[in-house]
Amino acid sequence: MTATMSIFGKELRDAVRSRWLVAFSLTFALVALALALVQQQGGVGAQGFNRTTASLINLCLLLVPLLALILGASAIAGERDRGTLGTLLSQPLSATELLVGKYLGLTVAVWGAVMLGFGVAGFLVALVSPVTDLGHYLLFVLLSAGLASAMLSIGVLISVASEGRSKALAVAVLTWFVLVLFYNLVAIGFALSVASSGEVLLASTLLNPVEAVRILAVLSLEPDLQVLGPLGSYLYLEFGPAWSAAVLAGAVLAWAAIPLALAAAVFRRQDA
Amino acid sequence: MILSVRDARKQYGKVTALDGVSFDLEAGRVLAVVGANGAGKSTLIKSVVGLMRFQGQVLVNGVDVARNGKAARRHIGYLAQNPSFHTDMTVQETATFYAALRGAPETEARDAVTAVGLEAHASKLVGALSGGMRQRLGLAVAQIGSPPLFVLDEPATGLDVGARLELREFIRDQRAAGRSVLLSTHWLEDVPSTSDEVLVLDAGRATFHGPSSEFVRASSARSRLYLRLNGHTPDAIPLIRAVAGGEVARTGEWLSVTCPTDEKARVLEALVGGGITILDFRVEEATTAAAAAPDGLEPVVQAAAEGGRS
Repeated sequence: MTATMSIFGKELRDAVRSRWLVAFSLTFALVALALALVQQQGGVGAQGFNRTTASLINLCLLLVPLLALILGASAIAGERDRGTLGTLLSQPLSATELLVGKYLGLTVAVWGAVMLGFGVAGFLVALVSPVTDLGHYLLFVLLSAGLASAMLSIGVLISVASEGRSKALAVAVLTWFVLVLFYNLVAIGFALSVASSGEVLLASTLLNPVEAVRILAVLSLEPDLQVLGPLGSYLYLEFGPAWSAAVLAGAVLAWAAIPLALAAAVFRRQDA
Repeated sequence: MILSVRDARKQYGKVTALDGVSFDLEAGRVLAVVGANGAGKSTLIKSVVGLMRFQGQVLVNGVDVARNGKAARRHIGYLAQNPSFHTDMTVQETATFYAALRGAPETEARDAVTAVGLEAHASKLVGALSGGMRQRLGLAVAQIGSPPLFVLDEPATGLDVGARLELREFIRDQRAAGRSVLLSTHWLEDVPSTSDEVLVLDAGRATFHGPSSEFVRASSARSRLYLRLNGHTPDAIPLIRAVAGGEVARTGEWLSVTCPTDEKARVLEALVGGGITILDFRVEEATTAAAAAPDGLEPVVQAAAEGGRS
């Protein structure tokens, strides 16, 4: 446990020192503020955090997975490239402890960046809009943190399975492209046109943490069938809002746990 | 027994890196693992530390490395051939981080940095250190927690003469403190001054394990002299044996003398001084004399003839 905490502390400190996370937080806050201001000036009407939250969903679903996948993919492959992996594993430290320490450190760092980004954005929006629907805003911060945990877990699995950092990063970006951009076009299209059974629709939702979080976010805001999309609509109509939310939250948790467990199993069997 | 290796085997595809290596190392002893490049030295070292999966058994202070690597590594201070640390951390931060990993207090990290003479560079980034300084930092990290066994992989590589002498001193100090050292080296001249025992690896197999004195005697560069004398051969044989020892054999009108390379001139001097005329002579250096080396040391003797390396 001491060793895991040492790795956790180092990872967190490295993240704080890193320009990546600071840049992400500031970018996120500025874009969020810009979205809020554009909505006001465009005559959409200031509806406080609810409107801001809705506009942040797509931004968050793009940026958080990218950041988390890249950081996760660098975790072990980067140590391997630098030659420091052998130095770390020559200490009284198991491969699982190293992996878990790194994952937890990165998770807390990304959570911090997400909260800082949302926090700054929320504070600035509150200055120009009346504060309403703060609960939805906080819930979406929590969902973003969940999404970050799931994508970090996938990133760490990529990292363990890759020979070097550059390969890991390439696979991470490809994964981001597939899960965030490609999935809606192909997987959902396939599910609807070729095999549109309930099981396939459910699997299509649960097999992508980004889609699961998107539907969860929409469900929490306004369960409109048009906004939910075909997969969300199916879940909503089939299971109702509460069960849908529970199933989707369970899927996100599973995405945070299963790739990490797989990564640990693979990592334990590798030579340093 | 601080270290016990039983039937260690490692295969990389069709290449056998370790082929049933077994040995023991007692507390307070220094064992040097020597062998040519690709003989399996680093594979053996990494297997002992648990950085590599292998077949067989390695016990460190009675703890099975394969089953409980974390506990076994509490007893090991490891120095890699090219120690790598995070370049964005300072020397002191690095030592403190590794002390935390070992559950050792921060004061021990400071003491370790001082012990290797890096206290003046404690606030320097690791990325700004020279190779020799990184090696020292590696030794500092290896000392944290006072492990009873040091495992050093080619520790002299890239070090200047002064640093190599310091390394020898470090090894002697550990032995004097009752700690054990397992080191791999291809510098044969380091062996007599640093180790009590030698394990020779050749293509993954242990071909010799014994006292370093025996290894040094056998692996010293040897020459074989072929002499044709003017009829005083029976008188020459005891004369040669008295001067250089070694093997003397008679083949027709030729005498063959196998002796340490630096003794061969004395053989010729003794014969001339004894009034024996040398009609003809030929010299073969250790490359061909290796056949005369004791079992298992041929590769080392061959390599010694090629420049003191193995």
